Amino acid sequence: MNLLDVAGVSYFIGDLEIIKDATFKANDGEFVSLIGPSGCGKSTLLRIIAGLIRPTKGKVMYLGKEIVEPIPEISFVFQDFALLPWLNNVENVEIGLSRSSISEEEKRKKALEILRHVGLSGFEYAYPNALSGGMKQRVGIARAIVSEPKILLMDEPFSSLDELTAEALRKDVYTMLKSKDNPVSSVIMVTHNVEEAVELSDKIVVMAQKPSYVKKILEVKMGRPRNKYSKEFRDYVNTVYKLLTT
Amino acid sequence: MGILSLIGLLVFDTLASWIRMFIALGASILLGLGIGIYAARRKTAEKVVIPIVDILQTLPILAFFPFVIYVIVATLPGYIGINAAVIFLIITSMLWNIIFGVYEAVKTLPQEFLELAALYKLNKWKRLAKIYVPASMPKVIDQSTLSFAIGLFYLVTSEIFSTANSTYAVKYGIGVELTKLAISNNFAAYAIGIAVFIAFVVATRLFFFAKLEKYYTRYNAPIRLKPLSQARHRQYAAFAHAIVTHIPRIRFRTENKQQIERVYTPKPEKKIISSKAIGYALLSVTILLILFYRPFSANEGTVLASLAVSFARVWLAFALITIIAVPLVVYLLFMSKHASSYLLLFQILASIPATILLPIIVTALKGLPMHDELVAFTVYFLSGIWYVVFSTLANKAYIPSNMLEVKRIFGVRGIEAWKKMYFYAILPGLITGAVTGIAAEWNASIVAEYFTTSAIGSGAVITSVGIGIGKLLDTSLDSGNLSLMLLGLLNLTIMIVIINRFVWNRLYRKIEAVSK
Repeated sequence: MNLLDVAGVSYFIGDLEIIKDATFKANDGEFVSLIGPSGCGKSTLLRIIAGLIRPTKGKVMYLGKEIVEPIPEISFVFQDFALLPWLNNVENVEIGLSRSSISEEEKRKKALEILRHVGLSGFEYAYPNALSGGMKQRVGIARAIVSEPKILLMDEPFSSLDELTAEALRKDVYTMLKSKDNPVSSVIMVTHNVEEAVELSDKIVVMAQKPSYVKKILEVKMGRPRNKYSKEFRDYVNTVYKLLTT
Repeated sequence: MGILSLIGLLVFDTLASWIRMFIALGASILLGLGIGIYAARRKTAEKVVIPIVDILQTLPILAFFPFVIYVIVATLPGYIGINAAVIFLIITSMLWNIIFGVYEAVKTLPQEFLELAALYKLNKWKRLAKIYVPASMPKVIDQSTLSFAIGLFYLVTSEIFSTANSTYAVKYGIGVELTKLAISNNFAAYAIGIAVFIAFVVATRLFFFAKLEKYYTRYNAPIRLKPLSQARHRQYAAFAHAIVTHIPRIRFRTENKQQIERVYTPKPEKKIISSKAIGYALLSVTILLILFYRPFSANEGTVLASLAVSFARVWLAFALITIIAVPLVVYLLFMSKHASSYLLLFQILASIPATILLPIIVTALKGLPMHDELVAFTVYFLSGIWYVVFSTLANKAYIPSNMLEVKRIFGVRGIEAWKKMYFYAILPGLITGAVTGIAAEWNASIVAEYFTTSAIGSGAVITSVGIGIGKLLDTSLDSGNLSLMLLGLLNLTIMIVIINRFVWNRLYRKIEAVSK
């Protein structure tokens, strides 16, 4: 059984078809990227997977069970961080443990631990607005993984950051997600950055727009760590570009 | 009287009131442009004018009415005097926020515009006509909507007035007419009168303010290219915004942001106006007068007691407002799927000023124990609630956009959602609403606590509480005791300034420090 199945998902706003018959799956241990031109409905598709939006047709299944609302096993990282400005960082991370029945002290302990894990020691009690964009997104990631979800959905997690910050965070995120003690077994990331997709993904779902449909699913069979300047890497990048532009 | 001729009469009365309103609005706009531009362009004028306007607009202007009336009506003869007085009174309620709107618009003009003017050697009049006035107009229209609403609030008290020496009522006016109908127990006619009034309010908004706004914001075209629902939402937001922008400090914060996002990208002059000096001056003068001026020192005890009792009424009403408004607003903002329909209903309800409802409230509560207290409480409640509701709703733009998605993804529910999300999300708006709502309540004190209809013939005091600052102001004028009235005003003013400074501003700064 697949960890996640997106089966024939269509989405309409009124009579306007936004997403047309999107189908793909994510298996254990897979990093999947959804890539496509901006405005093609990738973020909408990700929200459908999260259970935030119901599809008009088709369904999304987690371990064979249809997702009709957000479930604890699937977590979300937002493009613009979506931290609550009135809560400090550790309190923001504790939001991620809302469903958990453990005591407040244990929640605090877990939240502090995960903040250290994402490299934010010393900023636990600062407010989000005191942080840089990259640090804010680290809080966002800490909040998303503190509850140990199986699937992590990321909506253009690096696109609000400058390129250098984004690159550093990408590396850290990847190392973190692939480390043995990490419970997240699959990631689905929306992006419009081709290199980012090739660098991180095991599978790239290339989408075309109006309405958005799955144009091609590309397996990236390349060892890690990946060298951006290798011929193999450039070939993948070129292939994805070609798919996106034709 | 047949129903048609009744409606005809009511329409005629409303027209008469509306003519006064528009004359007052026109005058307020001209004065507002003049004073606002002057204050924004002259450093010395700025230092004097802005703090005074700042204080004037936080104060219950209505409390100043008796004094102004006394002066004007006493000096001008006949109907001219009465109508001049009414118009003048309405202007005192409309002017201040327009001055601030103009001042802000000119202050936040991009430097490049001024450099352009210098480059092409535009003279003073050209600068006015080509830069300052057009740049101010969107703000002026925005503020005029609010001014019109405040003006309506003062309509009844402006049209009917009695003091010991002079008693007057205008001959034709919807405020007078509604009061007459209510005290003669003609409820059906009263209801028709309210309907005519609401129709006029809605028509004015749709056919006057909406058109004007469209005209003066035509060059902001890109923002208007939005889906219908959003455009409608923007209208609501603009209305709510107009209702709530009453306090300069808070307006400075929100509107500067909006302007930056919307129109230009000026460097906003983050200037917090200091009315401190004036406050302290007022305080020390009053203390000196109370200590050494005999008519003041003899009455200070009574005034303080009256103020304390009114304070209790105002804040009790505010407590009830909060208890009702908070769940209502949270429901509308975060849960309801039909929020826009409710908003429309609230806008119509809010367009009926509490002062116009007073006669019917008095009659409706007849026979109940503590009748006059109940009337006062109801009028306070109705005067304050819409400010709290609308300013809390208007704060929506500053709530993190994905908050509800965060809530659903991470399963934040029940008490936790209230504690960690809803409460903080609405808090800034709630505080703005508290400041403006309580100011509106104080404004209403002069009507809520004491109301007499002697000017329209019945000669009756239709509601009068035991003790209260509103009543004290009314009755001291009735009996010609001007020094007592002045003392009451000074005490009220000082109390409001102190509470603004030590309660609201502090709270506000605390919140601003966290959620920029």
